[in-house]
Amino acid sequence: MSIRFILCFNKQGVVRLVRWYTANESGRETQEFIAQIYRLISSRDHKHQSNFVEFSDVTKLIYKRYAGLYFVMGVDMRDEEPIYLSHIHLFVEVLDNFFGNVCELDIVFNFYKVYMVLDEMFLAGEIQEVSKDVLVEKLHILDKLE
Amino acid sequence: MNVDRKKSFIGNPITTNTNTIKGLQIFIADLRTTQHSQDHERRINSELVKIKQHFEPNGSGSRNFNNRNNNIRLDGYQRKKYIAKLAYIYITTNTTKLNDILFGLDEMLNLLKSNHFAEKFMGYMILELLFEHEKVVNIIGNKIYPRLLADLSSNNDNFTALALNFIGVVGSLPSNFAFNEEVVDKVFQIVRSPTSPQYLKKKSTLAFLALLKNNLSILTEDIQRKQVWIQKIIGLLDDTDNYRVTLTSLPLVEYIAKHIDPSYCFRIIPQLTDILYTCVVLGTSDSGIYRFPTEYKFAGIPNPWLITKIVSLLNVLIASPHELSNNNNTPLQVQSQCLHPADLDPETLNKLRKCAVEAINLGNRNTNDVMQRIVQNTILFSLIKFATKLDPSDEAIVNSVQALCQLLNSHEINMRYLTLDSLIQLCSSNGKVAIDAIRHDNLDLIIHLMNTERDMSILRKIVDLLYTFADIDNVQVIVDHLLNFFLTSKHISDPQIRSNISVKIAILTEKYATDPNWYIDISLKILSLTINTSFNDDELWYRLCQIVVNNPQLRSITCHNLLNYLVEKQTSEYIVKTSAFLLGEYPSLVMDKISVENLFTVFAEKYFTVTNLTRAMILTTMIQLYKFAPQLGSNIIKFFQLEINSLDIELQTRSYEYLKIIQISKMSGDMNLLNILLEPMPPFNTKANPLLKRLGNLQPENSGITSLKNSSTTSLTESMKNIENVEPSVARRMSMKQPPLAPASRKNTGVLTPVQQNGTFETDGLNVKYTQQRLSTNFREGFVRMLLHKQGIFYSSPLMKIIYRTTKLEPFHLKISFTYINQTEWDITGLSSEIIAAHVQNNPEYIIQNVEPLTNSNIPPHKRVDQNFQVIVRKPYDIEESPLVNLYFKCGSSSNNITLKLGVGITSTIFSQSINTNQTSSVTLPQFITRWRTLGEALGKDAECQMQGIIMNNTDKNQDVNPIVTMLASLEMNLKRIGLDVIEQTNVANTLFVAGIIHTKSEGNFGCLLKIQCQADWRVNITCKTTVAGPLASYVVDCLKRIISE
Repeated sequence: MSIRFILCFNKQGVVRLVRWYTANESGRETQEFIAQIYRLISSRDHKHQSNFVEFSDVTKLIYKRYAGLYFVMGVDMRDEEPIYLSHIHLFVEVLDNFFGNVCELDIVFNFYKVYMVLDEMFLAGEIQEVSKDVLVEKLHILDKLE
Repeated sequence: MNVDRKKSFIGNPITTNTNTIKGLQIFIADLRTTQHSQDHERRINSELVKIKQHFEPNGSGSRNFNNRNNNIRLDGYQRKKYIAKLAYIYITTNTTKLNDILFGLDEMLNLLKSNHFAEKFMGYMILELLFEHEKVVNIIGNKIYPRLLADLSSNNDNFTALALNFIGVVGSLPSNFAFNEEVVDKVFQIVRSPTSPQYLKKKSTLAFLALLKNNLSILTEDIQRKQVWIQKIIGLLDDTDNYRVTLTSLPLVEYIAKHIDPSYCFRIIPQLTDILYTCVVLGTSDSGIYRFPTEYKFAGIPNPWLITKIVSLLNVLIASPHELSNNNNTPLQVQSQCLHPADLDPETLNKLRKCAVEAINLGNRNTNDVMQRIVQNTILFSLIKFATKLDPSDEAIVNSVQALCQLLNSHEINMRYLTLDSLIQLCSSNGKVAIDAIRHDNLDLIIHLMNTERDMSILRKIVDLLYTFADIDNVQVIVDHLLNFFLTSKHISDPQIRSNISVKIAILTEKYATDPNWYIDISLKILSLTINTSFNDDELWYRLCQIVVNNPQLRSITCHNLLNYLVEKQTSEYIVKTSAFLLGEYPSLVMDKISVENLFTVFAEKYFTVTNLTRAMILTTMIQLYKFAPQLGSNIIKFFQLEINSLDIELQTRSYEYLKIIQISKMSGDMNLLNILLEPMPPFNTKANPLLKRLGNLQPENSGITSLKNSSTTSLTESMKNIENVEPSVARRMSMKQPPLAPASRKNTGVLTPVQQNGTFETDGLNVKYTQQRLSTNFREGFVRMLLHKQGIFYSSPLMKIIYRTTKLEPFHLKISFTYINQTEWDITGLSSEIIAAHVQNNPEYIIQNVEPLTNSNIPPHKRVDQNFQVIVRKPYDIEESPLVNLYFKCGSSSNNITLKLGVGITSTIFSQSINTNQTSSVTLPQFITRWRTLGEALGKDAECQMQGIIMNNTDKNQDVNPIVTMLASLEMNLKRIGLDVIEQTNVANTLFVAGIIHTKSEGNFGCLLKIQCQADWRVNITCKTTVAGPLASYVVDCLKRIISE
């Protein structure tokens, strides 16, 4: 079980967040790689299609759209998909709580804080903490530190 | 922006507000207002120039003075601000500006030196992003070590956390951290230290995982370190308060189990089961007896993450019988080390089964909350697959299948996707039973879904599932449905799935076809439909050609069918290729339908509608036609002449060469050259169907598909040759199946002793696990006591006392009970034990079995828990190789490991009737002497062992006036305790004559006679004779020596 990468981009395909936990597969160019993922996911029907799609021989994508933002996790082909939907949902809940009604602009202007949230939640492709209370409390402390 | 959290109006305008960086916000806002990309670019570039000036220690030219000023004034806040801007530029330009920000790397390192968290954070944050690039690693990969090491040892936990985050993120990328001993050690120190805060422990376990992923030798290189470190890591799972460290340790343990050695983890199965049970059964119960901490519930379900991770680990540790006997994916070594469900103790098994049942109930619970439904089903899907492993009975599999199939009707797309996925896995791991159960009732539903679903992900799963269903009986139905779907569906615009379906149809038809007409019909239909060539489906027609060449009886119908396709106006290129190959090879077969002139014309017309690759093939067909019918000569020559000036080098070359060949053969007046060059195609010997490689994630795993894998090489060719008789091909399929490997020995049924049966590879005959143990220093006292006494104290320390009791179920069959007593004022937690045998393979001397789990893994102060297990002595063995017990537990914040040696030797099997009746010996001295002589005559020195001068252990040697009397009395008492007969006699004053029977399960009983002579200097000489030649006598003496001297 492990997350290969976490991505967040908006409907136009502008990348807002990207985190690699394993080396890029088969030496593909990062930008092209992300562009392919964007094309694949944005072409999928929001209503009539599932949140899971196989991307390559080693990676499948679990994604969910919140307002104008897609949150995508690339995971190992043998992993079980549904728990990653919980990963994404929890991540968004924590962002929401931390920023107070998070919107894309928060993520744009405070991109470094989003990475802080990310590092408190995920490490080495694994989830690190699952209590929203614990996370938000710690994040507020870190955020106030000089 | 979130105005409410700004507090910028108080204090120093530069550094007040650590959680917003004003300059950065302005810059971002600026960039966002620039609409045109040129303006955008310009703004970025001007900012880069500005930052560069600030960063350069010595600017150039006239601005030198200013720059120096700037640099002096470059304080931490500014540095942070500029680096943040560089980070934004990097992100917003989608990494294209990487090269333009590399100048800032040194300043980023400087940020790491800062004592301000926010500055240090910014430094680590951007470097985490940039370390993805080799370029960056090359420049500062080494310079970062001092910073990293300093922060890892920092007193400030938040600094350490940042360094751990950094390693956790970049550690598994291609970087060198995993090969730096210092980094590895520092990280592991945090993992192992009982004083590390939980917050850092979580991070350090995952950081360590990242390092391990990059460099397995961290744990495998040094066997002692492997042992110790893995035990420490496993000890982390014991975090039962809120499972926070457990959660992060699980992936690490799973990685170790998968890639290093699963056997270390077997002892934690009961513990994992308990956690699982607490979450799934107790935690979801409405009765309220058990309250799961709400902060660790998600969507109302107790810690779904913990549940899935535990199931995932258990899945690694426990292999289904199916996997054990028939697994192509796991390396043999790991596979043989997995545990069989039958090896689990009944209580654990029972709890796991209850979890599975509860998961199914949970899946059926109604809820309107979408997230909750997802989480409920996450658990259902994860456990249901595991359940069939625990109980692979047909009934259980059918139940699982039925529970899942109900979900196929779910309104939620995700649920249908996940259900299909689970069904595929069930089929794959349980074979025919699962397949039959699904298709019996649900085939129509699944086909209906195929025709209505609009999600490519789901369609793919359906196609996979149908593929799995196919067998010799229903292949026509399934292929028809797939083909029909292929032809009519509106939703299959995706070229990938089209390719996917054609490949699957091709494999199925080849694998199961019994009717050659049908096979050819379907194969050509697929080729005729495959218009998109981007997916390199050339293998489809390659394979068909191979089969037709190898099966002469297929040639005629194939050629005729091809001809029908060819004369149509639009022909798929694959059909043209196949035709070019086969009709060129066998033109004579269609002469009843078409004249050779017309055949030439057909190809000549197609020639201009196809790609150059196909044209090249047609050129070859042309020369074959020429060989077949030289009367076509001028037509064909003209045709080649046309292409002799082709821009395509291949076409040009071929035309030129073929023309030359025709010329030469015309000149020589015979067809010899042509005949040699164009000999009939020999049979192909490609064994495996290349299409099988294309199955991707549907790699053959289950028996059904495996049989395909094994037999497909020949099945079509064979089944085609035996068209009249289907049976042989089926029989072949059956017979080609590997006979299932016998499951790992199930002699030992205790979960705690899996090592014994799990092929931990032995060196020099000894179980590696056994040799790796290091005995605790004070093991000896308990060891000897156990050799001598039936019960007593086995071990005692300020933390724990262990009391043992040995009961003989049969002389060679000992039941040993341990009572562990907590001697402290604190709880002992996470207690687990492991009984390790010296040999586990090749007919071992003794085996350990029925190891019961500890009655509890936690012991409150001064309380006790019990454990029983049994030892069966099968053959004589050396006391040096008696079983070991290995204990782990936590007490307070310390984790402890005790390894002790059991005093169970060959003398433990001595059993004397006289002990039970009365204390007098049944043997008299004359009898003894006669037997002694007889043994000496029959077996000589081979069955004898002598040991001189064993110093007797006695505390008050000096006070004793008559040592021999004391010695004799003490020896006699002890020998009787063991079960030996001491012969009553007064003839020889300083000697004991002793007899006894040794019992073994496999080799029967042996008599044993001993002469034990005492000397006044507290020394003892022993001579032993046994009724069997070999080392038995020395084994007995060794045991006695320990009893006497220690």
